[in-house]
Amino acid sequence: MFDGSKQLTLTGTVRVFQWTNPHSYIQLVVKPESGPQQEWSLEMGANVYLYNLGWRPSTVKAGDTLTVTVVPLRSGAPGGLLVEAKTADGKSLVGSSAGDRP
Amino acid sequence: MNVPKTIPQRTLRCLVFSVVVSAIASLAVQAQSLPDWQGVWIAEGLTPEISGFPGPGAQYKLLGQTAPWNEQGMARVRVAQANQADQKADGWGFPLMMNAAAPLQFLIAPHETLIINVYRDVRHVYTDGRDHPAAGDRWPTTWGDSVGRWEGDTLVIDTVSVRDPNRYFFSNPPLSDQAHYVERLRKTGSDRIESTMTIEDPVTLTGPWVVELDYVRLTGLDRLIHDAYDNDRNEVEDGLFKIVPPKE
Repeated sequence: MFDGSKQLTLTGTVRVFQWTNPHSYIQLVVKPESGPQQEWSLEMGANVYLYNLGWRPSTVKAGDTLTVTVVPLRSGAPGGLLVEAKTADGKSLVGSSAGDRP
Repeated sequence: MNVPKTIPQRTLRCLVFSVVVSAIASLAVQAQSLPDWQGVWIAEGLTPEISGFPGPGAQYKLLGQTAPWNEQGMARVRVAQANQADQKADGWGFPLMMNAAAPLQFLIAPHETLIINVYRDVRHVYTDGRDHPAAGDRWPTTWGDSVGRWEGDTLVIDTVSVRDPNRYFFSNPPLSDQAHYVERLRKTGSDRIESTMTIEDPVTLTGPWVVELDYVRLTGLDRLIHDAYDNDRNEVEDGLFKIVPPKE
């Protein structure tokens, strides 16, 4: 699933924010220093979990710049578990850390 | 003596009215004496963060690590662990829904308490004095058959006929359908409900498995919000977990 031994920091532009169940997702377009841009699928908790933390469907919008901390997929594909997100002005959108899935 | 053969219509109406008023009054008195467990609750320490997982140190207490498994129980645990890689579930099922990262509500009425979580796991706990249905009238189900009673402010729930919980959700303990579950729940503070669950299973356990559970009020939710699983993007391919691209 996710490689809990690693955490990556990425900065990119939100293409889509899916406020959904059983998981919400942010599709983040990341431009590396070299090479083509990549779209990352960032998995989050269900929308109701995010709501409990104070998030709303409008918390993240297409075009927003985010700096995120991600636990990457073991497969190496551009995707992972979102554990922290900050807006362009450095404001944290509710920190988190990856616990163990039962 | 002159005894009327029929009750006069007006007297009959009065009688019916009195019976109805008396029944409503009785229910009202019962309802007033029932505990108030309103609100949305969650197992202590299991509130999900933005990742969907609880934070570090979270302890799921009903996975089975502390259960006194017998030989058959251990064999079931090994099979369950070997098979869980690409399993999915539509909810938590019982008993795991009682110690889950899933908000729940207790709806208390005189005749029944409903326990519902955000994944639409529903338990009907009948508190009207009935016993479980006869063995021939029930069969193992995901949430089992529950009856309850109030001992003061403690709700005692007796549950039987639970199908091997691991079949529904791969993290559930692989108990047999002969397992017997007794829970004692009591609200000990405005924001806290404490519970003890005792599980006995002649097939998989060497003795009672006693688990202490606590629920705390979830302040960020003013209601349970249910939603369909319409964006499940997790798949397993060649043994590796992946997130499939969005449909859009």
